[in-house]
Amino acid sequence: MPRRVDVAVIGAGPAGLAAAIAARGQGAERVMIIERAEQLGGLLPQCIHNGFGLVYFEEDMTGPEYEKVFIEKTRDLGVETQLETMVIDMDGKRNITAVSQTHGYMKLKPGAVVLAMGCRERARGALGIPGARPSGILTAGTCQRYVNIEGYMPGDRYVILGSGDIGMIMARRLTLEGARVEAVLEIMPWAGGLIRNEVQCLHDFGIPLLLEHTVSFIHGSNRIEGVTVSKVDRQLRGIPGTQRSFACNCLLLSAGLIPENEISLKAGVELDPMTGGPVVDQHRQTSVPGIFAGGNVVHVHDLVDWVSWEAELAGRSAALFADKGKVKVAGGVKVVPGANIKYVVPQLISGKDDVTLYMRVTQPGQNATVKIGGAMKKKFRFVRPSEMITIDVKGNKLKDAGAGKELVVDCEIKGSG
Amino acid sequence: MAARETIICIGCPLGCRVTVAQDKKGRITQIKGAECKQGEKYVLKEFENPVRTLTATVRTGDESYPLLPVRTSIPVPKILLADIMLQTAKARVEPPVKAGDVILKNVLKTGSDLIATSDWSG
Amino acid sequence: MSATETEVLIIGAGVLGAAAARELSKYKVDVTVVEKAVDVGWGCTKANVGVVNQGRDTLEFRPEYHRSYLLWRSLKLMGPLCKELEVPFEKVGGWLMAWNMGHKEKLDKCIKRTAGLGLGEDEFHWYEELRETEPHISDKILGGLFDPEIAVVNPVFFTQALMENATANGVKLMLETEVLDIEAGHSMFTVQTSQEEIKARYVINAAGEYIDKIAAMVDADDFVLFPIKGYVGVMDRSSEGLVKSLIAAIEDELGEMNVVVPTVEGNVLFGIQLQINRRGDYSTTEEMATKALQNAQRLVPDISGKDVINAFCGFLMFRNFEIGWHECEVGLSDRVPRFINMTIGYPGVSASTGAAAEVVEVLEKDGLKLEPDPGFEPRREAIPDFSKLSERKQRELVKKDPRYGHVVCRCETVTEGEIVEAIRRGATTLDGVKHRVRAGMGRCQAGFCGPRVTRILARELGIPETDVTKKGPESPQLEYRTKQILEEGGKHA
Repeated sequence: MPRRVDVAVIGAGPAGLAAAIAARGQGAERVMIIERAEQLGGLLPQCIHNGFGLVYFEEDMTGPEYEKVFIEKTRDLGVETQLETMVIDMDGKRNITAVSQTHGYMKLKPGAVVLAMGCRERARGALGIPGARPSGILTAGTCQRYVNIEGYMPGDRYVILGSGDIGMIMARRLTLEGARVEAVLEIMPWAGGLIRNEVQCLHDFGIPLLLEHTVSFIHGSNRIEGVTVSKVDRQLRGIPGTQRSFACNCLLLSAGLIPENEISLKAGVELDPMTGGPVVDQHRQTSVPGIFAGGNVVHVHDLVDWVSWEAELAGRSAALFADKGKVKVAGGVKVVPGANIKYVVPQLISGKDDVTLYMRVTQPGQNATVKIGGAMKKKFRFVRPSEMITIDVKGNKLKDAGAGKELVVDCEIKGSG
Repeated sequence: MAARETIICIGCPLGCRVTVAQDKKGRITQIKGAECKQGEKYVLKEFENPVRTLTATVRTGDESYPLLPVRTSIPVPKILLADIMLQTAKARVEPPVKAGDVILKNVLKTGSDLIATSDWSG
Repeated sequence: MSATETEVLIIGAGVLGAAAARELSKYKVDVTVVEKAVDVGWGCTKANVGVVNQGRDTLEFRPEYHRSYLLWRSLKLMGPLCKELEVPFEKVGGWLMAWNMGHKEKLDKCIKRTAGLGLGEDEFHWYEELRETEPHISDKILGGLFDPEIAVVNPVFFTQALMENATANGVKLMLETEVLDIEAGHSMFTVQTSQEEIKARYVINAAGEYIDKIAAMVDADDFVLFPIKGYVGVMDRSSEGLVKSLIAAIEDELGEMNVVVPTVEGNVLFGIQLQINRRGDYSTTEEMATKALQNAQRLVPDISGKDVINAFCGFLMFRNFEIGWHECEVGLSDRVPRFINMTIGYPGVSASTGAAAEVVEVLEKDGLKLEPDPGFEPRREAIPDFSKLSERKQRELVKKDPRYGHVVCRCETVTEGEIVEAIRRGATTLDGVKHRVRAGMGRCQAGFCGPRVTRILARELGIPETDVTKKGPESPQLEYRTKQILEEGGKHA
């Protein structure tokens, strides 16, 4: 017989913890978190740097401090946690199969599910960098785990490919720990992470950020010995004659995050090709009734604060669904990314209730105006792809605008980035 | 001593490049490039005394939990970061530790303590 | 230095050395295998695309060629052998395609020459017809010949299984043992290695990429080898089903070898982009990658660069670039008694079992007494593949050993139980684990499981984590403990 719980949350990172707490708060009695790692918190324990909680707690916290608040709350609320437990299957009717060393094989039939699996980093294979296959090439996140949790420094001389936030944060961490970071390379003409990280992690330590550059060759057959880097043209192809070399014994990759949705696919959840995450409505319900999603599994956020907030929404909705399906289907209006908008979440709204829209632009620029169909406009002094845009839209405005079946979101730019 | 420096404001995504100039007597003679007052304030502070919250780890001696994360209780001068890191390499902690416990008091006489950011029961 | 004495010394634990060792392990004879690397099957074998063919698909099959004979002989042995060793072996079949009428004429000639030999169908299929079974192939293809006997196997799995079974039957395997010099004595060879001196009555040279260097140590042959580097692209498992069979095409350019191959694991491989290269340089280049992809797309336009998750290069050793395809040598040296060379330009995996059988015959003919060992155990049990088992079997396994309930590699669903078993069977490195149970081979490329597999390796081998390597002593992955650099005076600060 499968075990019955009200809400099952897959993943115990910031999203999973917040979703479980919110589900309890909404009245779900039996809430269970299933986590494949050895501890709660997801990546937060290894994010020992500060900058968390500025929005959510209006306080500057480190990753461990931020997670502690949530972990203690799940304990206080009696949320059941299954650690080192891997969900190996889930169908569209929420039949979950999980395995663990301590409990063996587990079957679960929850009243509702929250997907909170987060995201993973793009690996070398996906980047297609030519060269041999030596040791010393790892993602910034894996390196972060080694340095901050496991207690190892993979090398003492680094080149970092990609200027995502984790990459820049690792540039600072490694420098502080006595290593040398030769350069951070970014294939785009702008940095991939937040401006504060560019300043405090790179400028502070004199680490060069080479924009429009990429690694064109990896040297060394056993251990990496260096890299050749090239400037790229508009099509992101290496420009001949611009090659230069750096000696290094480690290459870190911080070139993009991908929502982790293998379980979602097994359950038949529809994914948005632009976000890589499930298509969700404003309650964060996916295309499969009773399966909700929140956090980086839906789209990659820039701040953990937004992750917590979105997951809370998913958790509350899941609790309502588990309680005799008391969640309204938001359906109705499709939100469509228009000019210079890469994506908008949620992809489906009711068109009559208040909703917060999250989006990212494709190109950076100054004096931007974001238009939410005919419902409202909002001006921004500056937009860049690395910073998420959040806009609260009033239900009556949407109603008045008579959104119809589609609501197009555009971003007009007056000045270039 | 007269000085001139360009500082990038981190207050918002705009990232203004603000130029600050100082005369021989240490008086600010110019502050140019900030799009807002808050930015000017930040840049001025950054010019006069740049401080950072340092986050790091200290060793525990326990192979199953080799490192305890720590931070400075208040921001410390930027130029002291490397020296404080050397202090973290020397420090060893014993369990139990609660988040907020002082690991190194008044580190390098900065007035800031190095405090634990996580619990460790040992 | 202690000296090992053995009747037969095999140099090289690639697919040929392992096949010979396993074949000889059926007899009461002392066999030792030395391998320079830390694991088996990591040289030419690792870069093989895993096609087991009869040779007609390269248009080179001629009954009078030794190589053709070996291929033909091997295929019959290979299926049953893989069954005994529990190695996945799938008869996917293979097409040899013609782009134009000139190519069709070549195929017609080939049919004439090989008719009745059981090398596949003797009938040309036009595009319209073959499109029904392979809907993704290019409409520029005129048609092709089909051989239903062509199979795919994972070359490294196969080599590991051969070696595991050989050692279980008494063969001695010495890893990280490089042959430095060989002296041919009256009745014994004296072989200097990086580990110890070995005395052997017979020496089998199965050194793959370095076969010429080994032969030169005793002046057993004048191999002049052309090292040809081959590039192979690997596509994500989402590409499964893009091709059902091996798709190969006749190319006009000399040395072009253009294939798209399904694997037993569900990936699709494409290549093999060839280039004469300095030996030992396994690096991929942008040029090779681009060309290989373009060529593959010429055959199967739906192949997308976005789905390429990996690429690797390896070497094919040809004695003569122009006749390289059908050249091989398995036999006694003309100059040095009791010295046997095993060299097969391409494809080593296909010809390995036939070549091993032949080695036994050569040894017997030369007077080595080979008495069957009644204790020979032909079977080898595969490491359980948790993700592929039925729910009932999964439950049983977890109950028996709870470590099979601990999923360590999330992308390929590999459990701690499988990883521990891989280590028990000889994996000592991250790549060793990866090539046995696929941990770290999936889309995140060990980002999640890397630190965890490292910890398991350290624990099982009883070594510090800093001594765990990617693929041997020269490839450490964790150089320092955190704080060590600061303690040593911040030399890089």
